[in-house]
Amino acid sequence: MKEFFSLGLVRGLVYQFFGALAGIGIISGIRALMGLETAGSFGFSEPAWVFGALLGAITFLFGSGVLDDWLKWAAGEETADHHDGSHLGWRRYFGPSLDHKVIGIQYLVTALFVMAVGGSLALVFRTELAASGLQFLTTTFQVFQQNGMQLYNTLMSLHGMLMIVSILLGIAALMNYAVPLLIGARDMAFPRLNAFSFWIAVPAAIILLSSLFLGGFDTGWTGYPPLSARAPLGMQMFFLGVSLAGFSSILGGLNILATVIRLRVPGMAPFRMPIFVWASVATSIISLTATQLIGLSFQMVMLQRLFGLGFFDPAKGGNPVLFQHLFWFYSHPAVYVFVLPGLGIISELLPVFVRKPLFGYRWVAMSSLGIALVGFLVWGHHMFTSGMAEYLRVPFMYSTLLVAVPTGVKFFSWVGTVWRGKISFPTPMLYVLAGIIVFLMGGLTGPPNATVATDLHLHDTYYIVGHFHDTMFGGYIFPFFAAIYFWFPKVTGRRMNETLGKIQFWLLTPSFLALTFSMMQVGLLGMRRRVADYDPALGFDLSHLVMTISGFLVAASALLFIINLIHSARKGEPAPGNIWDSRSPEWQVASPMPVENYEIPFEVVGEPYDYGMPGSKFVEFKRGRHESK
Amino acid sequence: MKANKTNNPLRLGLWVFLLLALLTAVEFAFALWFGSWLLLLLAALAKAGLVLVYYMHIAKLFKVDESIDRESYGYKLATNRLGLWLFMVSDSFIFGGLMLSRLNLMGLTRPELDQALGLGVTSLLLVSSFFMNRAETSLAGGDRRAFLASAFITILLGIGFIIGVLGVEWQLAPFGPGDGPQGTVFYSMTGFHAFHVFTGIVFLVIIFRNGLRGRYSVEKHWAVEACAVYWHFVDVVWIFFYPALYLIGTVVP
Repeated sequence: MKEFFSLGLVRGLVYQFFGALAGIGIISGIRALMGLETAGSFGFSEPAWVFGALLGAITFLFGSGVLDDWLKWAAGEETADHHDGSHLGWRRYFGPSLDHKVIGIQYLVTALFVMAVGGSLALVFRTELAASGLQFLTTTFQVFQQNGMQLYNTLMSLHGMLMIVSILLGIAALMNYAVPLLIGARDMAFPRLNAFSFWIAVPAAIILLSSLFLGGFDTGWTGYPPLSARAPLGMQMFFLGVSLAGFSSILGGLNILATVIRLRVPGMAPFRMPIFVWASVATSIISLTATQLIGLSFQMVMLQRLFGLGFFDPAKGGNPVLFQHLFWFYSHPAVYVFVLPGLGIISELLPVFVRKPLFGYRWVAMSSLGIALVGFLVWGHHMFTSGMAEYLRVPFMYSTLLVAVPTGVKFFSWVGTVWRGKISFPTPMLYVLAGIIVFLMGGLTGPPNATVATDLHLHDTYYIVGHFHDTMFGGYIFPFFAAIYFWFPKVTGRRMNETLGKIQFWLLTPSFLALTFSMMQVGLLGMRRRVADYDPALGFDLSHLVMTISGFLVAASALLFIINLIHSARKGEPAPGNIWDSRSPEWQVASPMPVENYEIPFEVVGEPYDYGMPGSKFVEFKRGRHESK
Repeated sequence: MKANKTNNPLRLGLWVFLLLALLTAVEFAFALWFGSWLLLLLAALAKAGLVLVYYMHIAKLFKVDESIDRESYGYKLATNRLGLWLFMVSDSFIFGGLMLSRLNLMGLTRPELDQALGLGVTSLLLVSSFFMNRAETSLAGGDRRAFLASAFITILLGIGFIIGVLGVEWQLAPFGPGDGPQGTVFYSMTGFHAFHVFTGIVFLVIIFRNGLRGRYSVEKHWAVEACAVYWHFVDVVWIFFYPALYLIGTVVP
């Protein structure tokens, strides 16, 4: 029992609970002294709940122990550069660790957990939508001070944001684990900051989830005022949770940039970096800078609710469209944060399984940066119907269509790489290929939304829902599965079960395509998004039933994946060596990866993707050179 | 030689301070006589440039020796500098967002504020920047007593700034946070900035305390350098916020 309470996670949660109580107590006490109302929805006033949640997050960080080294520095004490290997067992995953590999796994497990919760919420409202008319989320249904239709709104909104947080955690997992290994670094540039980035995401996710129980919110994941300025208390928890999770993304991006700039092995010139590293750099540039603005826009609404500031309140001279500008300045580039690492994974793995050099390496490397930079100039395409200045529409339309150019470079490269290759089809390769196809669907359905004339019809329809699910699955989910199947042996020394993997693949891919095609079909015919019901006369019932069934099949495949993950980690076929015959440095050493990463340092002596070129070398380990002399 | 080493940073710091003070006076005159936002912007850019180059030593960011040992203090120092600058780039997006919101909501009008007080708190921050620079350069020159004295003065000036803004200006302002765009803009911009000044003061207290106990040497004082650069960054933010709040355009009707 004592051992259980010494785990960083458990202590953090206990601290968070009491910190939140203290915060609520402090504000309620101050309000009582000032003669203000202390009671409100769910027992306390809104400021008390918000301050309590914030203080809870801060006390979580103290309790978990992730701030210990910094506190020692502030007190003038020295700490060891790397923690010694005294916590090598399972316990290291439940407390702050400085090892980027451990943090990568912590991110991964958290991402899968959040994804499971967010996906389950989708199943609930998908069931409601299976037929026209209200099935069970009716006005008489009551839970957490919400009736059925309000709960529908909360579930739909929370599904969106939980999936986004899960994706951010998932790419952080991949980048944390892979980037230092790919560039031959001992660890990230700032290991403590790295641990902090992960641990702040835990209370953030808890606060975000608490919005479901504290009255929910009905704005969708975008949180537009004026609706969000008067939504229930859950809205504030949503804003606070996302703001805190934003710090995780910002600081993670900072760390990746510093690591890649400063800690590459000798010989790894920029144009010899693996494509996934390029993609991580591009992603990190966006998350470092733009993320601040979603945090700011959400905090502005919070301040408006708490202190009566009038940013977005027209009655006080505010401007609701300003929120949309600030919000989309992050939230559009954010979709490139989600997909760029995934597209990098595709470019990274494709040459391994076709045994050919990556076609147009330099162009692919630059295309990631190109997407990231053009991505900063396109946010207005979400606002064609918002009432923003007319003259902005056409420039935003063209800048958005411009994104197709660097994305096209990637597709061209993938086709050129596969062309006449010696293709093999293990599970990771299946996910890579499906990722390309699904992302192509997402890509081709994008320009109609970017073009003003068609978007005026498509805006806020199910067509948009279908489109972005295609881009998110093609750009993130499929490559994410590919990456896990690919690097799993590196992490555990065991292979994931191929049969289960292939069953999962053939379960997921057709049902997912049926899901999004049906979404786009009803969307084109006029089905609105974010509504709990639709007119049976529209004739959408069958399509919605298909979507619901497909949705459950997608969930079943995700469940199968988690079963495979747990099963293979314990009983998978041992795979100590370079099972994919990769040229990448991490596969040249034993699996699972040694704690110190590379005991023998290596140098980069050639191009990363020259598969099938006789005599070519990417990396050379220094001991190997000694022996050959 | 040794006299040179201790003298030069002081003279440079003084010159920069005088130029900054002069530019602030020029800004004030611009606002008084011309009312041109373009001239104000140019003056603010000139001030920010001076601080970036001479107080924040942006050039150090590019003086990187790749050949030294990865585990050495020098290599990590350069990495730390990069990390701090990336953080400031990120942070400046918050202030940029606030500034754009201010321009969107108020355009070329400004809140109704006490000019003398605005100039007063700006001067406090300006003088504190000079002493922050003194603290850092004194320590780098091996003069621990001057470092401690300057750091202490910086802390006092920082506290003075916060009292000036939160304690005086917030109370004297003829409008509350909910009173129209001027309330929204003024309280949010000064609030976000004051929070950063507050974190800077906490950082200063930490390095002052560790400095008292002799934790820093001429070679190894990254914490002091980081604190100084961060403090100057917060000052640069105010260099843009001051004209945006006090000087641009005409008082809101």
